[in-house]
Amino acid sequence: MNILKNLDFATAFKDLYPELLKAMGTVLGATMFGFALALIIGTLIALGRISKIKWLDWLLVVFLEIIRGTPLVVQLVYMYYVVPLLLSLVVQFWIPDYQINFDAFTAGSVALGINYGAYLSEVIRSSIISVDRGQMEAALALGYTKQQAMWSIVIPQAGRIALPTFGNYIIMMVKDTSLLAFITVYELLLRTQAYASQTFLTIESYTLLALAYLVLSLPMAQVVRVMERRLARHV
Amino acid sequence: MSNAIIEVNQLRKSFGSNEILKGIDLEIKQGEKVVIIGPSGSGKSTFLRCLNCLEIPTNGTVKVHGDYFIKPGERFNEKHVAALRTEVGMVFQRFNLFPTMTAIENVMAAQIKIRKKSKEAARETAEIYLRKVGLAERMNHYPSQLSGGQQQRVAIARALAMEPKAMLFDEATSGLDPELIGEVLNVVRELAKEGMTMVLVTHEMNFAEEVGDRIIFMDGGVIVEEGPPKEFFHNPKHNRTREFLQKVEH
Ligand SMILES: Nc1ncnc2c1ncn2[C@@H]1O[C@H](COP(=O)(O)OP(=O)(O)OP(=O)(O)O)[C@@H](O)[C@H]1O
Ligand SMILES: [Mg+2]
Repeated sequence: MNILKNLDFATAFKDLYPELLKAMGTVLGATMFGFALALIIGTLIALGRISKIKWLDWLLVVFLEIIRGTPLVVQLVYMYYVVPLLLSLVVQFWIPDYQINFDAFTAGSVALGINYGAYLSEVIRSSIISVDRGQMEAALALGYTKQQAMWSIVIPQAGRIALPTFGNYIIMMVKDTSLLAFITVYELLLRTQAYASQTFLTIESYTLLALAYLVLSLPMAQVVRVMERRLARHV
Repeated sequence: MSNAIIEVNQLRKSFGSNEILKGIDLEIKQGEKVVIIGPSGSGKSTFLRCLNCLEIPTNGTVKVHGDYFIKPGERFNEKHVAALRTEVGMVFQRFNLFPTMTAIENVMAAQIKIRKKSKEAARETAEIYLRKVGLAERMNHYPSQLSGGQQQRVAIARALAMEPKAMLFDEATSGLDPELIGEVLNVVRELAKEGMTMVLVTHEMNFAEEVGDRIIFMDGGVIVEEGPPKEFFHNPKHNRTREFLQKVEH
């Protein structure tokens, strides 16, 4: 029972919280950038698949299968270590010896964005399909082109339908940023690990780590719930 | 050029191998009110939807104010079709209001996006038409806060605000509770009096007789009989027309 007696949360908190605060900033930054990218990628994939252009649909499905069939960690590592090499090879056709490098944060957020974009595309696609056909027809009858009707009438409604699901994906992404540790992004997990191994305050450090994630995700869950209620009023 | 607002020439429409419209000719003059009746599945909606190119004819042409939706031998041109559609307002059985917009925003949206009006000008026009359909007090309500009859009147105002040359009504009252039908018919009646050119598909025979200049009976994808309402309802020439009228009257 010595362990419990020796617990020193005060010290761990005092030492860790500036670090954790900084790391929370990194996590939020990666989530914001990654999710914005995921929304763009997801919408484009959804529209591509709805367009009924056979080869495009096929290409997108292959892409989706690749993303869904490989672990996010592998995608992160691939984006950080492999993609810059491949891009450099391509660019070197024109500019010899040119080297492309991503910093870990950029590579990580982009990989998160692509991965989540693939999953969100299905959410977005099914919400677009679930918007009543009459909405598109009413807009067309008023003189909208298909594209105008899609962007200004159908997609805003699909967005409302998808919003609660988006909220859940954002919270998942916050948690998945812990995987950025694999490509050396100095986020929450890595900082905590470093501290825990220096001080042996293992229980304290990792408990604070868990709390830090809760501090991030609980308010988000609450915001999602409020928005959900607000938007449900006029659908 | 004649004073026809809508001209339909040898219109045919198939879905797959199923031919729904089998060669329809029709000319609708400025200010004319044409009522289309016929049994369920006879192609009335399909025909109406061809009049604003929501359905693309398999054969034949539709002209609005002398302008083809799709010129013979040419391909569907979305920009042109969209522009010409603004000349033909359409009211649907299921209203199809935009649920995320208030009544007035519904009426303003296309004016701003398509007619490129300023917000202020669009609002002014929207207020005029919402007042006209008797909804001055409900402008800031969402569709979900309006009754079916009120929603349909907003939908009519939304179409009118584009100042179309003709209006199409596809069973505009069929989705309504009986006690709400009257308020919508009143609005349509008023429009008719003002000289709006319109094509109505309806099951309301009394209303058809009252506002129609010409009644068209469609069955099996063709026009079986047409004529002025008195003659059509009281002295129909074709057996199929007589049978249909007997069925709906009893
Ligand atoms: N998009 C479509 N694809 C395939 N078949 C269709 C389509 N739209 C209509 N049809 C078919 O065309 C036929 C005519 O339909 P339409 O809706 O024009 O009839 P209607 O006269 O308006 O009937 P109602 O009085 O029931 O509204 C029906 O058999 C219908 O199933
Ligand atoms: Mg119909």
